[in-house]
Amino acid sequence: MSAVRIANLTVRFGADVLAVDDFSLDIGQGEFVSIVGPSGCGKTTVLNLLTGLLPLERGEISILGKRPFVGNPDVAYMLARDSLMPWRTTLGNASYGAEVRGVGKAEREAHAMELLRRVGLAGFEHRYPKALSHGMRQRCALARTFTLDSPVMLMDEPFGALDAQTKLQLEDLLLELWREEKRTVVFITHDLAEAVALSDRVIVMSARPGRIVADIPIGLERPRSVKALQKDPEFHRIYAQVWSELERGIAVSGGAAQAAGQQALSA
Amino acid sequence: MSTQVKALFATSASTTPAAAASSSRNLLGHAVFILAFIGLWEFASRQEWLNPTFFGRPSGIVAYLWNGLFVDRKLWLELGYTVAGTLISFVLGSAMAIAVGLLFAVFPKFEKAAEPYLTVLNAMPRLALAPLFLLWFGLGIWSKVAVGTSLSFFIVLANTIAGIRGVSADHITLSRSLGATPSQLFFKVTLPSAVPVIASGLRLGLIYSMLGVIGSEIIAAEHGLGQVLSYLQSTFNMNGVMGVTLLLAFLGLLVTAGMSRLERSLLKWQ
Repeated sequence: MSAVRIANLTVRFGADVLAVDDFSLDIGQGEFVSIVGPSGCGKTTVLNLLTGLLPLERGEISILGKRPFVGNPDVAYMLARDSLMPWRTTLGNASYGAEVRGVGKAEREAHAMELLRRVGLAGFEHRYPKALSHGMRQRCALARTFTLDSPVMLMDEPFGALDAQTKLQLEDLLLELWREEKRTVVFITHDLAEAVALSDRVIVMSARPGRIVADIPIGLERPRSVKALQKDPEFHRIYAQVWSELERGIAVSGGAAQAAGQQALSA
Repeated sequence: MSTQVKALFATSASTTPAAAASSSRNLLGHAVFILAFIGLWEFASRQEWLNPTFFGRPSGIVAYLWNGLFVDRKLWLELGYTVAGTLISFVLGSAMAIAVGLLFAVFPKFEKAAEPYLTVLNAMPRLALAPLFLLWFGLGIWSKVAVGTSLSFFIVLANTIAGIRGVSADHITLSRSLGATPSQLFFKVTLPSAVPVIASGLRLGLIYSMLGVIGSEIIAAEHGLGQVLSYLQSTFNMNGVMGVTLLLAFLGLLVTAGMSRLERSLLKWQ
């Protein structure tokens, strides 16, 4: 059974805005799949449909065989901004998801503490977010997402706001957690290098209306270190290859999409 | 006034050694300035450059306060009435305001229906209602409480509504994706995120309660510092007027300092 199956998804906002057009995607269990595309191409819309926050109108979606619904325990959602609650401590934030889902205090805090240790935040569990750096806050958000124990993780540009160095560290941290926990990850980004470094597959979307213009398997060996990949010629060779496939894909999908796609990729 | 008071306490709360040294130097500067000001005032009134009938004089003010507070001790009772009126107005006004504000958060339709009436009521200068409240609630403390409450209620209500509207969309999205129930959303997201804004509303509410109580005491009352002030003014006791005004200023400072303390202990995470 696939972890995530999307078939012929079409999303319209109002009468004339076609946001996502005939989008089909099959993601296997334990797979790490990135979706890249220009802003406004419907990436976040697809995620919101997977979480059930947006109602599905045309097409089919199944997550581990079930239709999406709000509060699906199989799904953990990580937002672009850390969205830590300033009135909760690091521990309180890391265990928030489990708390909403009704896990007992002792159990959820023990689990959150274990994750905080793994993301390198041991000793900061009683601090409030204002005392944490951006990187630390996103580590905490990562701990909160993994504390949920959901087999499918949806991540919406989680490292988009970080500086380059911190970003590399967190990407490696994510890969490490993913390898140990065997989760399925759907990762949204506009950073092609990030997508190539992290993923088993990179899905490229065109500008609105969002369509899949390329589905590229990434053959880099696992386990990977994103930091080490930066100096690896193989990574750069694959990156260049993905780039040209992407250009081809965008050229095929037509003029407007091309302009927007180029713009996104140079960003 | 409140922002000045806030700034005053913000500077006194600084903790680094350098800041402490500069703040103690500042303190010395202030002391010198105040002493010089008082000395000049005293000198000018003794030389009759300033008419003491209109401006009082520092030694007379001190004598009045000393007598009122420590010799015949009559001021304490009046002070007690004003403080009691302020606190009762504050508690009543803010409790009702928070309750109504939260009700609005849960039932937005109710807010929409009530809004025009609240706007009109809030636009009304509440002190102008004092004569009416005097007829309804008598000369005692309750007419003052009515004015104070009507002032603090709207201030705290406005802040409660603003706090609830200011809730982060990300926190709501995250919580909803986790399957939070409406009551979880309210108690785990909306309410805690509104608390700081409500707290700053409470600080203002306390000041406005005092304003309402003293204002209506000046109009008519059996007891209270406002009543004392009005009596002293009509008998041309300027030392007394200045003394009571000073006392009111200190009362205001005390009240806001207490509030800041409460706020800090309540909102450690800020």
